[in-house]
Amino acid sequence: MRGRGLVIGVAVVLVGLAAGAAYVTRDASPPWEHEPALTVADALGGKDGGAEGYTRAFEPRELHFPEDHGPHPGFRTEWWYWTGNLSTADGRDFGYQLTLFRSALASEEKERASAWGTRQVYMGHLALSDIGGGRFHATERFSRGALGLAGSRAEPFRVWLEDWSAEATGDGALPMRLTARGEGMSLSLVLEAGKPPVLQGDRGLSQKGPEPGNASYYYSLTRMPTRGQVTVEGRAYEVTGQSWMDREWSTSALGEDLVGWDWFSLQLSDGSELMYYQLRRRDGTADTFSAGTLVPALGEPVRLSREDVRLEVLATWKSPRSGTTYPARWRLAVPSRGLTLDIRPALADQELPVSVRYWEGSARLSGTHAGQPVRGRGYVELTGYGDAPQRER
Amino acid sequence: MRQRLLARASLRHLGSHPWLTALSLLGIALGVAVVVSIDLANTSAMRAFERSTDTVAGRATHQFVGGPAGLPESVYRDLRLLPGAPVSAPVVEGHVRAKGGDQRTLTLLGVDPFAESPFRSYVPGSGGGVDLGAFLTEPGAVILTQRTARALGVKAGDPLEVGVEGVEKRLRVVALLQPGDEGSARAMESLVLTDISTAQEVLGQVGRLSRIDLKLPDGEAGEARLESLRPLLPEGAEVVRPRARGNAVEQMTRAFRTNLTALSLLALVVGTFLIYNTMTFSVVQRREQLGRLRAVGITRRELFSLVLGEAAVLGVVGTVAGLLLGVLMGRGLVELVTRTLNDLYLVVSVRGLTLEPFTLMKGVLLGLGATLAAALLPAWEAARSAPAVTLRRSTLEDVSRHRAPRLALLGLLVLALGVGLLSLPTPELLPAYGGLFSVLLGAALLVPWLTAKLAGMAAGPLGRPFGLVGRMAARGVTSNLSRTAVALAALMVAVATTVGVGLMVTSFRGTVADWLESSLQADVYVSPPSLVTRRGGATFVPELAEHLRATPGVASSSTLRTVQVRVEGVPTDVRAVDFGGTPVRPYRFKEGDPERTWKELEAPDAVLVSEPFAFHRRVGVGGTVELATDKGPRRFRVVGVYFDYGSDTGTLLMLRDTYLRHFDDPRVSGVALYAAPGQDVDALVARVRERAGNAQALDIRSNRALREMSLEVFDRTFTITHVLRLLAVGVAFIGVLSALMALQLERARELAVLRATGLTPRQLWSLVSLQTGLLGLLAGLFALPLGVGLAYVLVHVINQRSFGWTLRLLVSTDVLLQALVLALSAAALAGLYPSWKMSRANPALALREE
Repeated sequence: MRGRGLVIGVAVVLVGLAAGAAYVTRDASPPWEHEPALTVADALGGKDGGAEGYTRAFEPRELHFPEDHGPHPGFRTEWWYWTGNLSTADGRDFGYQLTLFRSALASEEKERASAWGTRQVYMGHLALSDIGGGRFHATERFSRGALGLAGSRAEPFRVWLEDWSAEATGDGALPMRLTARGEGMSLSLVLEAGKPPVLQGDRGLSQKGPEPGNASYYYSLTRMPTRGQVTVEGRAYEVTGQSWMDREWSTSALGEDLVGWDWFSLQLSDGSELMYYQLRRRDGTADTFSAGTLVPALGEPVRLSREDVRLEVLATWKSPRSGTTYPARWRLAVPSRGLTLDIRPALADQELPVSVRYWEGSARLSGTHAGQPVRGRGYVELTGYGDAPQRER
Repeated sequence: MRQRLLARASLRHLGSHPWLTALSLLGIALGVAVVVSIDLANTSAMRAFERSTDTVAGRATHQFVGGPAGLPESVYRDLRLLPGAPVSAPVVEGHVRAKGGDQRTLTLLGVDPFAESPFRSYVPGSGGGVDLGAFLTEPGAVILTQRTARALGVKAGDPLEVGVEGVEKRLRVVALLQPGDEGSARAMESLVLTDISTAQEVLGQVGRLSRIDLKLPDGEAGEARLESLRPLLPEGAEVVRPRARGNAVEQMTRAFRTNLTALSLLALVVGTFLIYNTMTFSVVQRREQLGRLRAVGITRRELFSLVLGEAAVLGVVGTVAGLLLGVLMGRGLVELVTRTLNDLYLVVSVRGLTLEPFTLMKGVLLGLGATLAAALLPAWEAARSAPAVTLRRSTLEDVSRHRAPRLALLGLLVLALGVGLLSLPTPELLPAYGGLFSVLLGAALLVPWLTAKLAGMAAGPLGRPFGLVGRMAARGVTSNLSRTAVALAALMVAVATTVGVGLMVTSFRGTVADWLESSLQADVYVSPPSLVTRRGGATFVPELAEHLRATPGVASSSTLRTVQVRVEGVPTDVRAVDFGGTPVRPYRFKEGDPERTWKELEAPDAVLVSEPFAFHRRVGVGGTVELATDKGPRRFRVVGVYFDYGSDTGTLLMLRDTYLRHFDDPRVSGVALYAAPGQDVDALVARVRERAGNAQALDIRSNRALREMSLEVFDRTFTITHVLRLLAVGVAFIGVLSALMALQLERARELAVLRATGLTPRQLWSLVSLQTGLLGLLAGLFALPLGVGLAYVLVHVINQRSFGWTLRLLVSTDVLLQALVLALSAAALAGLYPSWKMSRANPALALREE
C-alpha cells in the first residue's frame, strides 16, 4: 500500500522538522541560580575589612576646630550625625535624625579624566518622628562625592548630599543650618552653639576593640539650641528644641564576636547629658569596650566604662514590618554618679526601613540624678537586631 | 457510512500518487515557510532592538537629550541639587566592538549605581553579587552577564579588549551578573555595564552625558513638573519620551521590512498556483469516480466538501510542515536581516528567534487560506459532475478551450485594474502591491488562451524536424489545456518574479555604481571604522584629521562630519562638508543649476537634502526644515535636492561653516584626499597609513577600493533579496515538476494506446520531452515581458514609494537568459520521470486500467 509510505514519509519529515525547529529555538542557557546580593549599603559598611592604605586611629591626637568639623578623607568611614527633640509652641513633639555618612571605597584616589571618578561616596538617612501625630517618616539616599553632587568641607563648614545639607550660616561652623527633605517631610533648622565639643573616649580616641587601630576619633556637641521648621504631610510647624551632633571617623570594623550596639544620647533636665554605647556580643552580653561619657551641667565630662553602667531591658517591641524584635524600654543606672533613668521610646515604631534596617528614635526619660528627680529627652540607636549585616560603629 | 466511504475514496486517491501528493505538500510548506521565516526574521530583529532599547531606557518616563555631543554633565548636578529633585539618573551610552570572542558589537552603558535602582533593576546597587567598590573606583571596570561573558570568552577578573571608533581600549571584567530570568538575560546579551566615569573615558565623552533619565508622575502633575524643569535644559537639549526612539526605528526600517514581506508573499502566490494545480488534477483524474459517486446518490454539496476536505488535509499537513520549516529557515534569515539592518540603519544584535503567536497565526491563515482558495474552483468542478460515467476528459478539455477566451478577457480586465492601481497618484505602498499582484494574476489568466494560440502555431515548426511526434507534442499542449495552462501559469509567474527581482537589483546596482562613480572623486578616503557600515559617525581622535590632510603629495582635501541630529523631531544623518580648497563638488542635483545651488548653500541657514529625504519629508527646494541644533531649534532653508543612494531614510547636507555655527562639535568623521598631479595613489595611501600611526585604527582606502567596498556592502544588503528570489524559484520549480508530472502520468492511458499502436519507447520519450520542453519554452517566453513589466513596477513604483529613489531601469540580457534556461531546465527535468516510467510500462497493463 503506497499510501502508507506517504503517511510514514510525511510523518518522518514532520518529526524531523519539529526536532530542527526545537533545536534552533532551544534555550541554551543554564538554569538560573541565585547568588547572594550585595547592596550599596554593604559596600559602604566596609564589609571587606581591608584597612590597608587608609589612615587609622592608633592614638589620641589633638582635635582642632573648625578643621575637624570637616572631612578626613584618609579614613575609610566618617559621619556627621544629628539627632534632636523639638516641640511647637503648643506642645506638639517631634524628633529628627539627619545623618550623612562618607565612605571611601578604595584607599587610593586614582587619576581620572572623568569628573565622576572618585572613591568617596555619601549615604544619607533622614528620619522625622511625628510624635504628636504618631507617625514615623524615614528615607535614605546615596551619591558619589564628585561633581558637586555630595561632599564636605571644613571652612566654611558644609556637608551635603544633593539637596540635603548642613552648612554654617556665619563665619564659624556654628550656628549651622540643616536642610533636608524626603517623601512627605522636610526640615529646616538652625543649630546654635551650646556646650563646647565633648571628646569621647581617651581625648577623642574611642577604642572599639582590643587590636591597635580598631578605634575611631569621636567627639560630640551634646546640646545645641535649635529652632526652625519641620513639615509633615504638607503641614509646616515652627519648632524649638535641643540637638545633638556626633562626629566620628575611623578605619575599623566591628570585631568578629560583635553583632551590634545600643547607643544612647540623653539630655537631662538638670543640664547634664549622657552618651553611652553598649557593644553587644553574639551571646547577648555586653562587650568590654562598651563606653560612655557623662557631661555634667558644669565642669569636666566624666568617662564611663562598661563597669560603671548598668543597662537593663524592661520591654521589647516587635516590628510588624521586618519581624525584628527590638528592646523598647530600659533602666540605665550609673551608681557611681547617683544616676538612675527609665528610658522609653517616644514612639514604638521608629525603625528605619532602609537598606540596612535599624531602629533609631526619640526617647523620653525620667529618674533621679544625685538625689534629685530628673526628666529628659534623648535618642536611642539599636543596630544588629535584624538578619541583615550590620554597619560598623 | 457515506462519510466513511467518501473519506476512504479520498485517501486512496491521495495515496495512489504519493509523489504528487508529497510535491504539493512541499509546495504549500515552502510557500508558508518563506512567509513565516521572513516574518520571524523581521520580528526577531525588531524585538531585539526594542528589548535593547527598553533595557537601556529602563523605566524612564522622560529623557533629557542633547544635540550630537550630548548634554553637559552640569545639567545633571543642577537637577539633583534642585530642592525636591525628581527621580533621575544620568546615562552615558555608546557602542564598542569586542576584540575577542565572537567580536560582537556591545552597548556600553555607563550608569551611576546610586541613581539607578528606580530605572534599571539589574544594575548593582539593588543587588547582584557585585563588588561595588571596584566597579566605582577602578578605571575600566565593567560588568557583564554570564552569558555575554561566555560568548566573549572572558571570566570575572579578565581583561576585555574593545575597539572604540578604531581606538583600542582595555577594560576589566570585575563581576558577572546572573539576571533573574530569561527575559532580562536576553535583553542584556550585548550589554556592558560600567560606571559612568569609565563610560565617559572609554567613549571619549568626558564632561558629557548621553542623556538623563527621568521618572515623572503621570498626567498633569508630571507635565507641570516637566515645565518647571525646562529652565535647566541648556540650548539644544530637549525632553523626549523613550518610546519615541523605538518608533523612529520602526519608521526607519518599515519600507525595508514591508518589501521583504511582499517578496515572501510572492513565494506563497506561486505556491497557491501549485495547490490549485494539484487539486484540479485530482478532480480531473477522478472524473469517472466522481460521476459514479453522484450516481450512487452522493450530493453535489458532499462532493464539494469532499474536495475541499482533501485540500484542507493537505493544507493542514503542508502548513504545519511550513511553520516548522519556516522556523528553521528563519534562524538563517535572521542573520541576513540583522546584517542588512546593521549595514544600513542601526546597531542591533539579534541572538535568537522571537516566536510570536501572531507570526505563526499568519502562517496558518495564509497556508490554509491559500490552499482552500486554490481548491475552490476544482471543488466546484467536482460538484458539477454529472451522475454518469460518461463524462470524458475530452468534454472537460472542450470546456477549457471554450473558457480560454473568456478567461483571457477577464485577465485583461484584471491587468487593467492592476495598471490602474499602480498609476494611482498616491505615495502608499499598499495599492502598489495590490497592482503588482493584479498584474501577475491578470497575466496568469491570459495564459490558457495564449497557450492554445502559440502551441497551435508551434505544431508546424515542431513537425518539421521531429515529424509526427513533434506535431503530437504541440497538439498535446492544446488538448490538455486544463492542466497545461495552470502549470504554465505557475511557471510563468515564478520565472517572471525572478526576472523582475533580478532586473530590479541589477538596475539598482547599476544606478548605485554610476552614483559612486560620480560621488567618489577624491583619490584617498580615510575614516575611523564605524558600526553601521553605511552611516559612519565615528570620529578621528583630535588633530589626526588635520595631520592627515597635510600629508605630502596631497593637493587638496575635504572633510566630512556625519552626525545624527533631530530634524523635525526625527533623528537624521546630517553631513557637514568642508570642501577645503577642492573645486570638486561630488554631488549631483535632482534639479536646478548646480553653480547657483552651491552659491546659495553658503548662506548660514541653507542646507541640501537627499532625494529620499525630500521624498519622505515632503519637502523640496524652497521649503524649510527644523533642526535641533546645540543652540536650540533652528529653521533651515532647503536650497537643493541631491542624489544619494547611501541612505534610504535620507540625509541632509550643510557646509561645515554652517555646522560649526550651530553645533559645538569640531570633530571630523571622514577625510577625502586629492593627490597632487603625478602623485602615485598607492604610494600616497602608504604614506597616509604611515602618518596615521597606531593611535587609531583607520580605514584608509583608495578611490577604487572604496568603490568596491561600497558595492560589496550593496550586494550584501541584497543577499536576502537573492535568497528570497531563489526560494520563489524553488517553489516554482516544484510546482512545475509536479504539474507536468501529473500531466504526463495522467496521460498514461493515452500514451499506452500510442505504445500499443506502435510508438517505440524512444519515440514516447521524445514525445514527452518535447511537450514539457515546449511548455517550458512557452513559460519562459511569457515570463520575459511580464518580468520586465514587474521590474518596471518594482523600480519605478515600489522602490520609488518605499525609499524615494530615482533608479534607472536596466534590462540585463543575462537575467533574461537565465530565466529562459531556468524555465527550460525545470521543464526538461519534469519530463524525465514520467517518460522513463511510461517507456518502461507494459502498455497492456496500462490499458487494462479501465
